[in-house]
Amino acid sequence: MRYLLTRLGLFVPMLAGVVSVVFLLVHLIPGDPARVLLGEDASPQAVAQLRHNLGLDLPLPSQFLRYLGHLLHGDLGVSMFQNAPVLDLVLARLPATLELAAFAIVVSVCLGVSLGCAAAVFHGSALDLLCLVFAQLGISVTVFWLGILLMLAFSVELHWLPAIGRGVPLSSAFAASLEGRPAALFDSLAHLAMPAVALGMQGAAIICRLVRSGMLEALASDYVRTARAKGVHPFAVTFRHALRNALLPAVTMIGWQFGNLLGGAVLTEGIFGWPGLGQLAVGAFSQRDLPLMQGIVLTFALVFGLVTLATDLAYGLIDPRIGSR
Amino acid sequence: MKGERVGRWLAAARVLALVAVVLIVASGLAAGAEGPRAVRIGTDVDAQSLDPRLQRDTTAYRLNNLIYDGLIQLDENLTPRPDLALSWRQPDEKTWVFTMRRDARFHDGRPVTPDDVVFTFKTILDPALNARFRSLYEPIETVEAVGGDQIRFTLKTPYAPLLNYLDLGIVPKDVGARDLNANPLGSGPFRFSRWERGGRIVLTANDGYFAGRPAIDEIDMIVVPDNTARAQALEAGDLDLIMSPLSPQDVSRLAADRRFRHVHLPGISITYFNFNCRHPVLSDPTVRRAVAMLIDQNTIVQQIYGGIDVPATSLLIPSLRWSYTPEIRQPAYDVDGARGLLAEAGWKPGADGVLAKNGQRLSFTLATHAEDSNRIQTIELSQNTLNQVGIDAKASVTDWPAFIGSVQTGNYDLALLGWTILVDPDRAMYGQLTSSGSLNFGRYANPQVDALLARGRAVGDLAARAEAYQAAARIIAEELPYYVLSYAGFDAFATSRLSGFAADARGFLRGLAAP
Repeated sequence: MRYLLTRLGLFVPMLAGVVSVVFLLVHLIPGDPARVLLGEDASPQAVAQLRHNLGLDLPLPSQFLRYLGHLLHGDLGVSMFQNAPVLDLVLARLPATLELAAFAIVVSVCLGVSLGCAAAVFHGSALDLLCLVFAQLGISVTVFWLGILLMLAFSVELHWLPAIGRGVPLSSAFAASLEGRPAALFDSLAHLAMPAVALGMQGAAIICRLVRSGMLEALASDYVRTARAKGVHPFAVTFRHALRNALLPAVTMIGWQFGNLLGGAVLTEGIFGWPGLGQLAVGAFSQRDLPLMQGIVLTFALVFGLVTLATDLAYGLIDPRIGSR
Repeated sequence: MKGERVGRWLAAARVLALVAVVLIVASGLAAGAEGPRAVRIGTDVDAQSLDPRLQRDTTAYRLNNLIYDGLIQLDENLTPRPDLALSWRQPDEKTWVFTMRRDARFHDGRPVTPDDVVFTFKTILDPALNARFRSLYEPIETVEAVGGDQIRFTLKTPYAPLLNYLDLGIVPKDVGARDLNANPLGSGPFRFSRWERGGRIVLTANDGYFAGRPAIDEIDMIVVPDNTARAQALEAGDLDLIMSPLSPQDVSRLAADRRFRHVHLPGISITYFNFNCRHPVLSDPTVRRAVAMLIDQNTIVQQIYGGIDVPATSLLIPSLRWSYTPEIRQPAYDVDGARGLLAEAGWKPGADGVLAKNGQRLSFTLATHAEDSNRIQTIELSQNTLNQVGIDAKASVTDWPAFIGSVQTGNYDLALLGWTILVDPDRAMYGQLTSSGSLNFGRYANPQVDALLARGRAVGDLAARAEAYQAAARIIAEELPYYVLSYAGFDAFATSRLSGFAADARGFLRGLAAP
């Protein structure tokens, strides 16, 4: 409990640091949002007037203090290009990205852990080799290319899965299926399948390798030999004893991978027309929509911080020695 | 024991395979088509504003053209046709009078009146609105409603291109708290239904449309940012219509696919090199001419752009047939000719191999923006050719905001970019190449060109306008403040559900409104 409170307490300085660094960076990179907003035929007077209206002609410290003041009241500002509160824009898109990232983690974990286990249990066999090849390919192939290939195979050629779009949000789809309407759930999963696989493949490859080497080490250890000698069922030896110890580095990887997934979501959302935060970020950055850029990065930092906290807490569940120190 | 283990794995694998098959089959059943006459159009960017006065992206232009009516509409040949205005006349060269139809209604049922037209133009001219295209309407002095059904435009100076810009969507003068940016209200053939941000914008047919209810019930504008993914979505059957921008490879693949109807139009956009005429070296027209002769136009257009664009002859645009002539030509690609020209002008190789004259090295930077890989390759190819003849050409690629910021403030040497929606020669030339033009980033100044472009804007007679623009284009092709690389083609691919599909060269989709 104390550990949890300490970690939560560290959030505030972390977010303060992110807010300051991001503010500085977005204001220092070249490119003027007023020019982008007004277009090529903007007169210098119009640009100056708009910069004044947007408060961009104030000294940077004043702009920062104004921004901080609003932030402390929960106000992330108004998007310059969409004329809507940043908080509303972010909250509208965040569920889609979280849904995609969560499913990508499910793909990474299921695929990575099962292939890593199989490779370790059947060490030296053709299956082990196949898993290693998969791991190498998974790390090398870019999410961008993999997405296009998956779309080509499963949508264009086979017509098995829809090529683009999100379908019914997963939460609504679950609720509908519980009410006896499973079609919505199938629609939701069908749209999620390819983007989640494309996004999760790299994580699966990394987790596969980690689980494989962890399991191989565990399976060769004294305590596993003791368990086997005691007549413990092979299933229990593999999963209750060996895998549980091999999982710890993999859990670390899952937390770290989430950060990668948020970044990878930007590319994946563009390929599959997934209406998430990644695409909102691309638009915001390519136009220099300063409040929106800041709001999105802050959101990513917050989400990433919460995920790493959850990861740290998960250690305690897997390894009882951690947390009791 | 091992056999038992293997058996368990196989059983698990069988269950997983069964679940996968069920999901795939069920998704095929669940994935529903929208109504029987719903058209799904792929677009590359989400719209930002559906208020026609504030629109600034191609998705918004296309949607607003369906949601709103203008006084006129431009047909496939870019000729103004009646829309909300039944007829028009010019009592004198500074006055236009439009007679409006009385049966047009906004989607909430209220009639469209001359007061709405007056309101639309007054507000777009208001500097506080920061309308992107305000400069197109600046020559308008007053707009007033006259008699119950007429609108009179009084201009500050004669302004012939005005009619081409009067397809501006007309908004209601009083919408209360309604935000037209996100909840548009027009009178056009389609009404706004809903907007799933980043996903799709849905329009439904306007039952009470004065020209007849469209045959299509619903239009879904679906956002797929990646050009290749959009093409694949068409092939997968998830979209019915896609348009430029498309990669050259996807265009040739889809053009060969008999399932899709291919519409190819010459387009009304240009890709061009913009010389900074205040640069110490590029201020010399001879140097600009030599540089133009070193741009391998045909290779760039055929190899890099895959032949989907057309090599340009001058700043005159073929789509604007009344003003175009192929006889005015920029210098052709000629490496030896360029070498000779520079040598004649006194440029000699220095100790470092770079051409120099009076202590000045022939050095400059080619710049473009990162979002267009074709433009980046064009810069790289051109840089290579320029370096071969002793010009120290550097390349600079930055993202759009940084790039356009430096171009607009004159902080560039030679920039590669484009102009779009050039529905009138005035739009391609006046602001860009008159000495005090707001779009004259390179600060080119030629009083003769100023006079010709002012005349082209002022006279009403098309033949006289054409003469003025051709004379200006001839000077521009010699002095080369611009070297026009290509006329950007427009490509669209449609499935058989859109058998009667027609687009205009701007890529607008008014043809979908056919009853």
